[in-house]
Amino acid sequence: MKRHRARAGALWRIVCLGALLPAAAHANELDMAILGKPPTTAWPTFNGDYSGERFSSLRQINDSNVTSLQLQWSYRISDVAAQRGAPVPVIKATPLLVNGTLYFTIPNNVYAVDARTGTKLWSYSWVDQGGHLVGNRGLGMYKSWLYFLGPDNWVICVDSNTGKERWRKQIADARLQYFTTTAPLVVKDHVLVGVGGDAMDIRGFLVALNPDDGAIQWKWWSTPGAGEPGIETWPNVNAAMHGGGGTWQPGTYDSELNLIYWGTGNTNPVFAGQGRKGANLYTTSIVALDLDSGKLAWHFQVSPHDTHDWDNTEMPVLIDANIEGKPRKLLAQAARNGWFVVLDRTNGKALVSTPYVQLDWAKGVDKRGQPIPDPAKEPSVSGTMTITSATNWMSPSYSPVTGLFYVNAVQGVAIYYLLDTDARPSGYGGTLSSLGTSTRFLKAIDITTGKARWQHEYPNLNGAPSTLGPGLLSTAGNLVFTGDDQGNLIAYSADQGKILWHFRASSAQSNGPITYMHDGRQWVVLAAGDTLYAYTLAPAALTRADP
Amino acid sequence: MRPKRPGVASRAASLIAVLAVFVPSVLWAQAEPSTASSPARSGSAVREFLGLGPPPDAAAAQRGAPIYAANCAFCHGPLARGAEGPSLVYSELVLQDEHGATVAEFLKAGRPEKGMPAFANMSDEQRKEIAEFLHQQIEDVANRGAYQPRNILLGDAKKGASYVGKHCLGCHSLSGDLAGLAQKWRPVDLQRYWIMPPRKTSDRAITATVRSPRATWQGRVQEMDDFRLVLVDAAGEPVVIARDAGVTVELHDPLAPHVAMIGALSDSDMINVTAYLETIK
Repeated sequence: MKRHRARAGALWRIVCLGALLPAAAHANELDMAILGKPPTTAWPTFNGDYSGERFSSLRQINDSNVTSLQLQWSYRISDVAAQRGAPVPVIKATPLLVNGTLYFTIPNNVYAVDARTGTKLWSYSWVDQGGHLVGNRGLGMYKSWLYFLGPDNWVICVDSNTGKERWRKQIADARLQYFTTTAPLVVKDHVLVGVGGDAMDIRGFLVALNPDDGAIQWKWWSTPGAGEPGIETWPNVNAAMHGGGGTWQPGTYDSELNLIYWGTGNTNPVFAGQGRKGANLYTTSIVALDLDSGKLAWHFQVSPHDTHDWDNTEMPVLIDANIEGKPRKLLAQAARNGWFVVLDRTNGKALVSTPYVQLDWAKGVDKRGQPIPDPAKEPSVSGTMTITSATNWMSPSYSPVTGLFYVNAVQGVAIYYLLDTDARPSGYGGTLSSLGTSTRFLKAIDITTGKARWQHEYPNLNGAPSTLGPGLLSTAGNLVFTGDDQGNLIAYSADQGKILWHFRASSAQSNGPITYMHDGRQWVVLAAGDTLYAYTLAPAALTRADP
Repeated sequence: MRPKRPGVASRAASLIAVLAVFVPSVLWAQAEPSTASSPARSGSAVREFLGLGPPPDAAAAQRGAPIYAANCAFCHGPLARGAEGPSLVYSELVLQDEHGATVAEFLKAGRPEKGMPAFANMSDEQRKEIAEFLHQQIEDVANRGAYQPRNILLGDAKKGASYVGKHCLGCHSLSGDLAGLAQKWRPVDLQRYWIMPPRKTSDRAITATVRSPRATWQGRVQEMDDFRLVLVDAAGEPVVIARDAGVTVELHDPLAPHVAMIGALSDSDMINVTAYLETIK
């Protein structure tokens, strides 16, 4: 009897597969026209759209019914053993959701999962020849093709229907200590890819590739060459050629201005600044580049002459808002050095430039509004105390409904040491030692003032790791989704910061949450450690909710 | 991939254990360390984590040091970071080389048109030792897990003594708990731990009084988030308390004076006190 049923089941599956297969060949073609539109039925880029707001207009799930949120499925990565330096897989990627399939990554691995059931459709594995396995932040998509980075600077194009590799192209050399973790950003006919690297004083760059074959369209270097503007902020060309400025997070894009906005990483040598006196452009900056040529339109350096590993790669979030009654094109960033800026994104002029955590490393701002670092707070041989990183790569969010910029911030102190006192230092050149009392806050910052309208302090006996952090999502349902450092996935009211819902996951939330409509239901999908969790309202609440 | 032999599996398991211990301290650029770990322990693990390629042959590098000093340092600098000639730490030829295979060949011929002489009269062994010396310089720069600590004791012990007299002796004693700290900790750990001691001992644990309309609990806090507390009561039993409406939590932190001190402490007081504590036997 049992056997008979099993066979019938197998037969039924074959029939179904036969029926589905021809359709599946066309199913996963991304409609390129939706790229950059507010994400509702798809989440086709790292940030959902090009603004970086990570705001959704969906309100089926809202502050009145979020208590009825119910786990529909979870997908745990169980086919990857310990990787170099990573004992267990951690999903830091923001998934893409296109035509009912979720695509996400961990280092060296891509997964395609059915969004309705959490069933794996295919996976792709890369065998690296070096590079840093600190994380992988996801994929870019163009038509039916996905773009993924191996840690060793390979851009790999795979077919979204099958996971089969189409082509691969290496954009930098891992032996020079370049490594790649970012989610490629697809804009028009460009695949934008950045690099990371600290150990060996790389020269950072951003590259635009042809989506068809990976051919390089343009390359923008994070530091200027001989005779180029900005070289006056370096003592010599050699220092600029090894000055760092990774581009290891995706950026944002304004289609009207045709400008992309990117945050650049820390300066190199990392903690030893004596061989690179000056502001060190265009590291630790926000840069605006022309999409089609890669030419620099303007820059704003949030962390001049960085000596604290304060990568400025936090998302430059594009906001359209009325300031003093006038509609403005703005860009807001909560930076790793604890500074919050709101700029006019047409020209880089500062409207707001102020700390969002308590800090002691700045002596004020210059006439452009860029903070002036206090040399007394640079790392020293005997040790210098200042703040730990106030945030990191985890995604912030902005809600046009509340006018609030949400960021998971850390208030902590570390002792920074200079180890390499040579006139020509190299590599990290120093180290730091944290004083174990850091605290994480969810801050809701008013973009017109830079002041928190509300904040929530996460209780935690063990302080806050700034290595791994929960990303954020805000919605028109007056909700903010994020997590704490102790395995709780949490929904807050967006206007007041009241906790409305939580779910105890197997580890701390580790990526940026996404939301979308599928099959008439609003889904919220987020990752904690090795597991992806997918929620909708419980059936009873669903029937009462607006579609 | 599933390991096929039990030997590999158990080695993998022990590697996981080692990695689990040091990983928080090595995820810098896109992360940050929580502790300064000992160089000897973490050097090879960080090398692997960063994908730095094969480790240099330290003995050969040592043999290569005088050869390098005599023949190369004049142009390339004592640490190969460049002088008149280019930095060899950044040299692609050196970075691509493994154990001298390419570098030794290069040295044999040199690049006379660019002013780089040939070292044809050296033995192949010596040329490889120069290459290992260069790889050691790269290792010293790139492998932060193997960084050597410096002497951080540059403060003024006398001024440190006066700070301790003014701020610390209300709770601590020079002949009691402050004695012999230098024997217990490396200076870099002494400096962070006197400011914020580790909470390993029970007298430094955070305790709480938790009240609900129906009951009151007291004990050591084992876990605390927005939704629940886990207290260990006097009998050593864990008590789980949901933080529902009406539940109030009063924390008692024996290290509260230290937490408060961090905000007020200057860098010079910090290094002076460390220098002073180092002298208390």
